[in-house]
Amino acid sequence: MEFVSPTTLDEAYRALSADEARCLAGGQSLVAMMNLGLVAPGRLVSLRKIESLRGIVMQPDGSVRIGAMTTHAELADLDLPGAAVSLLASAARVVAYPAVRMQGTLGGSIAHADPAADYPVALTAAEARIEIGSQYGTRLVEARDFFRGVFETKLQHGEIVTAVVLQPAAPDAGAAYVKLSLVAGDFAIVSVAAIVARTAQIAIGGCGPKPLFVSGLAVTDDALLAAAKQLAEDSDPPSDQRASAGYRRRIIPGIVRRAVRAAQASG
Amino acid sequence: MMSDRLPMSVTVNGETHTVLASPSATLLDVLRDELSLTGTKRGCNHGVCGACTVLIDGKLARSCLALAADIGERLVVTVEGVADGREFSAVQRALIESGAIQCGFCTPGFVIALTHLFSSNPRPERETIRAALSGNLCRCSGYVKIVEAAERLAELRP
Repeated sequence: MEFVSPTTLDEAYRALSADEARCLAGGQSLVAMMNLGLVAPGRLVSLRKIESLRGIVMQPDGSVRIGAMTTHAELADLDLPGAAVSLLASAARVVAYPAVRMQGTLGGSIAHADPAADYPVALTAAEARIEIGSQYGTRLVEARDFFRGVFETKLQHGEIVTAVVLQPAAPDAGAAYVKLSLVAGDFAIVSVAAIVARTAQIAIGGCGPKPLFVSGLAVTDDALLAAAKQLAEDSDPPSDQRASAGYRRRIIPGIVRRAVRAAQASG
Repeated sequence: MMSDRLPMSVTVNGETHTVLASPSATLLDVLRDELSLTGTKRGCNHGVCGACTVLIDGKLARSCLALAADIGERLVVTVEGVADGREFSAVQRALIESGAIQCGFCTPGFVIALTHLFSSNPRPERETIRAALSGNLCRCSGYVKIVEAAERLAELRP
């Protein structure tokens, strides 16, 4: 294996053009997979020294651009106004364990796209956009389209997740991220991200190859229950060591209601 | 996977070492196998157990999930660097005095996690302690005494 550590994105794009080249961000998933013998990249391109992948900026249109190399711990401490930011920060606080949160990155996690991970759910609910760079320029992809399946995204060979862009939500909106897991720090059995103003928009994770999304929900108990039952029916949850598919379907309505009520209380 | 060994530098407990290691070697591999710093333990080797926890630039890190080649200029502290010369640190003394050690395999990871916690928060509450230790497994299940040791240390702090 070859290891390179470029200091600019242009150098990184060139290094990535080789077959078998992979980006190394925080390494919290990739190095684990290497140690387990699941992947053996021919070349690793470390993104650690690329300054332009860092930083969090409130842009003139009210959106917030978060550099891909921002760590979970930095996101967890983020103190900016807005429901989308607070949703992402809530999700960051329950990603894995303290040591992983201090090293793992936003960009690394979303490029990895574990279907039980926290950011895909939060970013889908927030209708965030993922900024993707390559030697040909930059494009923005809706989070809902970016996550395509189990460990599968819109990223193509030679591309890097460079940032996440959060759109401002309604000023009176609240947000909550509710995650059910076996123990603190584990991946979700089911997680629900909600942004709620007059209506609710929610995403559900852990219940299929990519997050489920629905918006414009009325927030009465009856309407939420009906919508959540429909989502449970539409979902394609796995049966694994954490829980059965049937159990996941059964608890979706309860977790949806809990997330929506928590979001209202925070708004 | 056979890779050629490359020279790389790591600064551990204040000393800079240049070692020859594979580009896929982890910091844990280099600490234990090249530098003979075997206080840091190899448990699961994929980031779950916490036995290999070290500090990198003052932040908690799984040394099994950091590539040695990617450490660069950052400063690594292992359990061997926690004591002040031959004097145990306050965290180490608290663990000893509370009997918070059974087989000892997880202890270096707990020492580092608690050292990090107390460096930013001298008087943590029980829930803060438990959250700070949530990434460290003790297969002897000796958690009660470990948390008690931290609480005792918190009470001793001004």
